[in-house]
Amino acid sequence: MSRKQVKGEYIETDTGNKVARKAVLVGTQHIMLGGKTVIQAEVMIRGDLARTAQPSSTPSAAPSSNTAVAIGRYCFLSKGCCLRPPGRIYKGFVHSITQSLSPVNPLAPHAATITVVQSFTYLPLRLGDHVFVGEGTVVQAATVGSHVHIGQNVVVGEFAIIKDYVRVLDGTVVPPNMVIPSFSVVAGQPARVVGEVPEGGHEAFELRELYKTIGNNPQPLPV
Amino acid sequence: MASFTPYTYIQCPCHDSTSQSRTADDAPPPTTTLPELSENDDDHAFDPRAHRSTFSLYPLEHLLYCDVCHQIRCPRCVTEELVTIYCPNCLFEVGTSSLKTEGNRLTSDYLHLNKSLTAANRTLTLDAHVAVSNARYVSAPWPSKLSKPPPDPTLLSADSATPIPPGPWVLTCSYCHWNSSEIGVKFDKPQGIFGQLQKLRYGEDQSKHVVSGDTSPTKTDSVPETNKARFAALKSFYGSQTVGANPGAGLSGLGDYGLNSPGALTRIMSIYSGNINGLKPKTKSSVMREADSPNEGFQLSDLDEGAAISQLRRDGWDGTVTGDQAKTQVEEGAQFADQLWPIPYLLRAKRSKRCPVCRHIISKPESKVSNTRWRIRLIANNSIPSISIKPLNPPPGSGLLKPLQPAHFLLTFKNPLFDDVKVTLATPATTPGRFASRVTVLCPEFQIDANPDNDMYLDDVLKDGEKERQRRRGDEGIHQAEAGKIWERGRNWVSIIVEVIPSSLRIEPPPAILVKDGDPEPDLSPLREDEDVLEIPMFVRLEWESEASHDQVGAATSREKDAKEKRELAYWCAIGIGRISQE
Repeated sequence: MSRKQVKGEYIETDTGNKVARKAVLVGTQHIMLGGKTVIQAEVMIRGDLARTAQPSSTPSAAPSSNTAVAIGRYCFLSKGCCLRPPGRIYKGFVHSITQSLSPVNPLAPHAATITVVQSFTYLPLRLGDHVFVGEGTVVQAATVGSHVHIGQNVVVGEFAIIKDYVRVLDGTVVPPNMVIPSFSVVAGQPARVVGEVPEGGHEAFELRELYKTIGNNPQPLPV
Repeated sequence: MASFTPYTYIQCPCHDSTSQSRTADDAPPPTTTLPELSENDDDHAFDPRAHRSTFSLYPLEHLLYCDVCHQIRCPRCVTEELVTIYCPNCLFEVGTSSLKTEGNRLTSDYLHLNKSLTAANRTLTLDAHVAVSNARYVSAPWPSKLSKPPPDPTLLSADSATPIPPGPWVLTCSYCHWNSSEIGVKFDKPQGIFGQLQKLRYGEDQSKHVVSGDTSPTKTDSVPETNKARFAALKSFYGSQTVGANPGAGLSGLGDYGLNSPGALTRIMSIYSGNINGLKPKTKSSVMREADSPNEGFQLSDLDEGAAISQLRRDGWDGTVTGDQAKTQVEEGAQFADQLWPIPYLLRAKRSKRCPVCRHIISKPESKVSNTRWRIRLIANNSIPSISIKPLNPPPGSGLLKPLQPAHFLLTFKNPLFDDVKVTLATPATTPGRFASRVTVLCPEFQIDANPDNDMYLDDVLKDGEKERQRRRGDEGIHQAEAGKIWERGRNWVSIIVEVIPSSLRIEPPPAILVKDGDPEPDLSPLREDEDVLEIPMFVRLEWESEASHDQVGAATSREKDAKEKRELAYWCAIGIGRISQE
């Protein structure tokens, strides 16, 4: 997070997003940014892991509407973090192997377990507003609420649900499918709720000021 | 050791009323050991290292502020009330009535499951405090999944495919891939898991162990097996005993109505005064007896611990439960890892908080579980200045303070109020404790301007210009730490300089020439934990004039409208500056 950076390190969009040129955004057509979001260098967002298997009832929609990663406003993705939509084996309708395998991601971890009657699909990853993701963190959650702080080197497992006003401390491993209720402080491997966010601590989740400190003409944090 | 974040802890005034003799009724508490404290209270400096201080110091975020009493309130002194009780995993709201009958864990998992089954991957919320014998980390709740145990473990997540496949079902942990078939727990159907678990544990006869709210005597023919059921049986037994011994004055009524009800009071009065008054001469017909049979809740203690000892010999340390596991599995009473049992989630509550003095609500969340807004939230953040600390010239290298070398720190006070605040600071000349560092506040009195209206746009426009001016002002003067002058001033903040001379951490007896007769023996014990942290006790006194509060409606209307009221608030805080290096 060096403040003094070469001019033009970030691409600033009309909606106020600041995306580092060195960020790795894969499958940008499947990534939605709400605006005023900072994406630092070496951040990887796997938009290519969009939903592949459509429910059998509805015919497959246009691929452009198929969001893989949705990010709200004032999110802050620190250097080296990774947002990856969660995937699982989809049951209940039969497909042949060729259709069910994710064409863009042949290295999908569950590819080996796919059988004829099941298919693998990714589901969208949604981030709310004011979500901070620390350095080196991997997020594979289904939903992250608003005003969430995820520390450094955290792993958020697949289909985890993090509600609003949650602080995930550094080094936590949130197991898959865990639900973290609002106003929780979470730590440990595996993660467990270790505390509660006090009433006076809500403002600390605001990322407006932090947003201003990043970009091509960064401003110092106010006192 | 390497990293140290400066901190500010603020002392809640509730500390005063208990430890010092400043009680409301002027009666000195019997435990007052320092009588001089009560005489000249002003001379008493607060010692953040005293054992009691730990319980009264809080970061600013944890403090609330009662705007009727105009005083700081901490989590320890407020009274809490339950607003909503819910399951932290599925956010299912539990009613108070079912809480009374079923306890503080989620037992009605039928609804629970229904809800979860609609979710993508059949996460089951009967969240096991999973018991695993080979892994010690598994005592905490985390999601476990109900799926059919397949022969091939790689297909584990693949199996709950078609609507309801035939069983058996198991609980699995998605973190360590444990599943409950390891302890022989399998379910026939994915509903009513709690009931099935109970059945697996205690057999078919539910009445022996499931505690329902009523402790009617119809059940007493069965033998209770769990601690909870045994307690209920004992309670009902002794309740019936007191009723039998003294009809109309049984203590059993107390539990139902609480001691606050007038009925309970008359019952107590009749217990204690009934005989003396002689109005109703009591017949000593029935004698109270102690519980003596198992169905009354009586249990002989098993003093033969041979089995436990031999198991301890066989399994060793790894076979025992960890402290955490034992704490979460109190009811199960597990001593060994193979006695651990999946237990449901502990419920969680949203709580509102009241001021202990004036009973006004100072914090109240919305009652719905999913709503994260607050109806009332009077936090100290909005009423007292925040103090942030940073070194004036960041020292190169380790960041530790060099002993006996002066260091300067910048304390920045930020005013959240909409009025100008006059701040007066006071610190003892040396910090308390064995290693007394010298502290000098260069500017102990200053004024902070009011917090401007928090208009975002205006703020942005004005900030830059003001910053510039600030810079220029700073440049033209010789910007030096100077006694009596503030370092820098902003719209609603002021920074001042504090000079500290850290003491040496060397532990040696004082030179003989300085030791007087009658001095206590110097403490030469080795460095204790965190004794190398330089912590400054600081007394902060705020003075400001604000709009008169319109508490009393009648009085307010008669007064002039823009009458100003003088306010004053004073508190101690402990400022952690840094660690002293051990040279």
